[in-house]
Amino acid sequence: MKVKFWGVRGSIPCPGPYTIKYGGNTACIELRFVESNRLIIIDAGSGIRELGNYMMANDLPGGPIKTEIFLTHTHWDHIMGFPFFTPSYVPGTKLKIYGPVSYEDNSLEDSVGGQLTYRYFPVRRTELASEIEYINLKEDQFDLGDGIILTTKYLNHPLLCLGYRFEYRDKVFCTAYDTEPFQNVFCTDIDDPSYNEAMSHEGDQAARAENQRVEKFTAGADLLIYDAQYTQEEYESSKIGWGHSSCEYAIATAKQAGAKRLALFHHEPLRTDDQMDELTEKYCSRDHIGDTDIFFAREGMEIEL
Amino acid sequence: MANPMIEVPITRELRLKRIQDYIFRMPSLSTTVSKVVEICNSPATSPNDLNRVISLDPVLTGRVLKLINSAYYSLVNRATSLTRAIVMLGLNTVKNLALSTSVLESLGGEESFQAFSMDNFWMHSICVGVTAKSLAAIKRVPITDREEYFVAGLLHDLGKIPLNNLFPEEYVHAMEWAELQHVHLYQAENSIFEVDHCMVGEMIAEKWVLSETITDSLFHHHKPVESREENRQMVAIVALANTYANFLEVGSSGDRFPEDPQATHLLEQVGISWSALLDLRETVLSEIEKARIFLQLTPKGVA
Repeated sequence: MKVKFWGVRGSIPCPGPYTIKYGGNTACIELRFVESNRLIIIDAGSGIRELGNYMMANDLPGGPIKTEIFLTHTHWDHIMGFPFFTPSYVPGTKLKIYGPVSYEDNSLEDSVGGQLTYRYFPVRRTELASEIEYINLKEDQFDLGDGIILTTKYLNHPLLCLGYRFEYRDKVFCTAYDTEPFQNVFCTDIDDPSYNEAMSHEGDQAARAENQRVEKFTAGADLLIYDAQYTQEEYESSKIGWGHSSCEYAIATAKQAGAKRLALFHHEPLRTDDQMDELTEKYCSRDHIGDTDIFFAREGMEIEL
Repeated sequence: MANPMIEVPITRELRLKRIQDYIFRMPSLSTTVSKVVEICNSPATSPNDLNRVISLDPVLTGRVLKLINSAYYSLVNRATSLTRAIVMLGLNTVKNLALSTSVLESLGGEESFQAFSMDNFWMHSICVGVTAKSLAAIKRVPITDREEYFVAGLLHDLGKIPLNNLFPEEYVHAMEWAELQHVHLYQAENSIFEVDHCMVGEMIAEKWVLSETITDSLFHHHKPVESREENRQMVAIVALANTYANFLEVGSSGDRFPEDPQATHLLEQVGISWSALLDLRETVLSEIEKARIFLQLTPKGVA
């Protein structure tokens, strides 16, 4: 498996002089299975535009493009690049777009393809020349063929969001963003009038069980891409419930999982390159990380598993 | 060509077909629906309030659990309670489920309850739920399992909703007949419809894929001995709670036969004395009162 980061930023693209080193594009990851000539894309944030251009120059000459896009969820920073994904305008291109959908919400096709309406964009989705199939995903395990096994896991985000675990030839590649630790959201203060003992206990148990399931989901990853938008201090001071984790939590999870490499991902858009370097110093120094290789994902970075 | 003026007697098969169709679009109770909408539309919904408001409506509780456990989310770990569902799927997802279920389905409104009032049905259901949960506590059921007892009690009479709504005039007859003959309402239902609310309850539970214990509570709450052995404790507790609610005359779901000959047997089966049961009265009444106050709408402008 070959992994390449085309977008690593969270929330909104933030190009400019302060984000040159780590990159300003939002989430997009390329996953290549060289032996079977298979290309999988995770998320269609603004980074997918550059990936699309790369595919036009390097894949299209070899024949029509066939690819699968796995969306972690449909928040805008994860789908905004889709209208600028050039291969979708090319006749002969076949796209399968997978993602989770909440009950009573719009279909995946409406959420993603719905960006292509005149009010947002000069091209309508019906005018796209490619063949696109939309597929709803749930928590499950799938055989994708060519020896690729995919496991999906619901994460903890304000919108239904999936983590993806790909297993191929004894290697494990796993994504777990946008997410934060599952919490007991119920009142635990016995003096609060709304306190309910049973609810409080069960909330505790459920949160613990779900966090254990995320640990199991990430176990043994050769590369784990984990949400690390905040520092623990930022998280605790004002970001609980926003659906993102701290670097400290991501590192603890990776260690628990016995991950070989941890890519800290979904960087806070306000973070400058200098600040990212400082965080690298703080979280990725040798004595801090034990057996796991920890780094902040950078746009353009390539990793072979 | 058939003469439309001649009324064709309805067969059992036809009744069952109509009941099946009805279960698809079963309405939520108007007693709770306004509060569900208020709480779900508030940007600062507290998880405790959301959990509570859903759990006060038997139809909504069943439907939300159904959706959560349906192929729609296909959770590997089944969510047996609302509390768990809210932690697993998040507040927003459950809020959306409740809102869409409740708003879309509440259109049936008062018409759904012609033989007995919706408020009385709601109060009876809550009373059985609260009593079942209290009995579970007395029987030292682990605290995290007690919510299922509440849900089983809350939902036990769901089967009456389709019967009452689809065949309102006959349902009034069934109630009168039960009173006159001094028999249980389910027995009268059986004589008139060839189907009773326990069977309809089972149909609902199966359609909504509710847990086996809750399904048994819906199906066997008038004959707990017929339930699967592993579920019998819950079914017997729900049965006793039902007898108790009828005895206290808290709300009503149409059964006017409080002197239940089964009562002594149920007390033995659950392993509790009548006086201990009577001691629950204050707790049960105060829980219902709290639920009532909770459901009262916040006046506009007083958030």
